[in-house]
Amino acid sequence: MVNGYVPASLQEALEIRAGQDVIPYAGGTDLMVKRRPDAQYLFIGRLPELRQITEDENYIHIGAAVTFTEALADPRVPALMKAAVSRIGAPAIRNAGTFGGNVGNASAKADSVPVEVAADAKLRLISLRGERVVEIESFYHGHGTHDLGPDELIAEILLPRTGLDHWYYEKVGGRSALAISRISFASVFDMQEDRITKAAAAFGAVSDTVLRFRDLEAMLIGRSVAEAKDMKPAYLRAYDERLQLTEGRVSAQYRKRVCLNLLEDSLRTFGI
Amino acid sequence: MAELSFILNGSRVRYDGSAADRLLDALRNEYHCTSVKCGCGEGECGACAVLIDGVLHNSCCVAVGAVQDAQVVTLEGYRETARFQALDRAFAELSAVQCGFCTPGILLAAEALLSRSPHPDEAEIREGLSGNLCRCTGYNAIVNAVKRAAEEGDGLW
Ligand SMILES: Cc1cc2nc3c(=O)[nH]c(=O)nc-3n(C[C@H](O)[C@H](O)[C@H](O)COP(=O)(O)OP(=O)(O)OC[C@H]3O[C@@H](n4cnc5c(N)ncnc54)[C@H](O)[C@@H]3O)c2cc1C
Ligand code: FES
Ligand code: FES
Repeated sequence: MVNGYVPASLQEALEIRAGQDVIPYAGGTDLMVKRRPDAQYLFIGRLPELRQITEDENYIHIGAAVTFTEALADPRVPALMKAAVSRIGAPAIRNAGTFGGNVGNASAKADSVPVEVAADAKLRLISLRGERVVEIESFYHGHGTHDLGPDELIAEILLPRTGLDHWYYEKVGGRSALAISRISFASVFDMQEDRITKAAAAFGAVSDTVLRFRDLEAMLIGRSVAEAKDMKPAYLRAYDERLQLTEGRVSAQYRKRVCLNLLEDSLRTFGI
Repeated sequence: MAELSFILNGSRVRYDGSAADRLLDALRNEYHCTSVKCGCGEGECGACAVLIDGVLHNSCCVAVGAVQDAQVVTLEGYRETARFQALDRAFAELSAVQCGFCTPGILLAAEALLSRSPHPDEAEIREGLSGNLCRCTGYNAIVNAVKRAAEEGDGLW
């Protein structure tokens, strides 16, 4: 074969990845648009080891080469994740596009990532040296860059099995199909014994990376719904101050307005 | 390294070019499957749609190396089927083709939809075809034609 590798197993893929200068290729929907005819691709999209969805006590493991269409058909994938990936592209894009590719592309516009950030997801990265599990948030370093070694592959995404029942998701694009996000927003809320235990809000497509502010979330943690309602104006003001957004096809001002509206709307659906 | 080869419309073919080449270009230039059109080259229009192992893909977003040993079906192969006949008749009766540039991709998207859901309602049809742009028809005739093909071709899917 000229220019490229089709490994038969994950082990073989890792050996090639360690020994050659290759670009992992899963569904190709980001890579092929970049038009690099000289690229040396490592075709991992059909490796069975990367195409499984499994569960353990704490996590749902979504293989890096699982496509969005496959995840939408799987009852174990949380509704929040389905809400996000059902809005990706159009059928042919969801048939090809993968979770690993969405993360690997390191774009803040990747629609599965705000969900992963809000849900405290982790990534399992593998190489011949072994494996490591990292928090999704610490994986990104800025626009287009992430913490993936030249010999590593993303093996799977780990989503918590519990605590994702109260969620909110919205994507704002230019049209209903084939729309790249102008703003995407995911939030997850949880309570125990009348006290808020989680109020995570993640903003996608508005900065170099997906944004989440744990120190601002802390304003609501440990409070009752009534107390949170009292906090609401201060909470929204704090986000207003903190959200420093980039100009894109839409103005930073518009983005901020929409982000704050979505944050407020999500609080409302959680009864705050 | 093994040679690059896949099954195109039922026959095994070998590819001597680069594994990074676009499947779209290989299909048109190497195997003369000119039903596969390049409308945008960026995954946005569906004019280059093909079935890979029965699943709808935009061939402009696929490298040839990704279809090693896979079944690739273009309209040239699909048109030999009874399902195609049913769609062809409905598209002709309802004037769902004007310039025809989008038609091969639309037909394969319709096949992908009907093989999953043989009796789709209008919303499902529109969703199934949402990745295929048509500059001529305004879509209604296409949606109606897919609906009629599903009714008249009942049992085929
Ligand atoms: C028309 C169109 C519409 C789109 N719409 C959307 C949309 O609405 N929302 C959205 O989020 N995205 C959208 N995308 C972008 C794209 O489809 C997604 O980002 C998709 O998840 C990419 O997955 P892939 O498998 O195709 O990636 P690939 O193109 O195969 O790879 C993308 C990147 O990730 C790396 N990579 C892939 N897998 C791994 C792995 N296992 N380990 C390490 N690195 C890896 C690759 O090296 C590459 O850098 C769209 C793309 C197109 C063409
Ligand atoms: S040419 Fe492939 S989607 Fe437009
Ligand atoms: S008939 Fe002309 S683009 Fe559809």
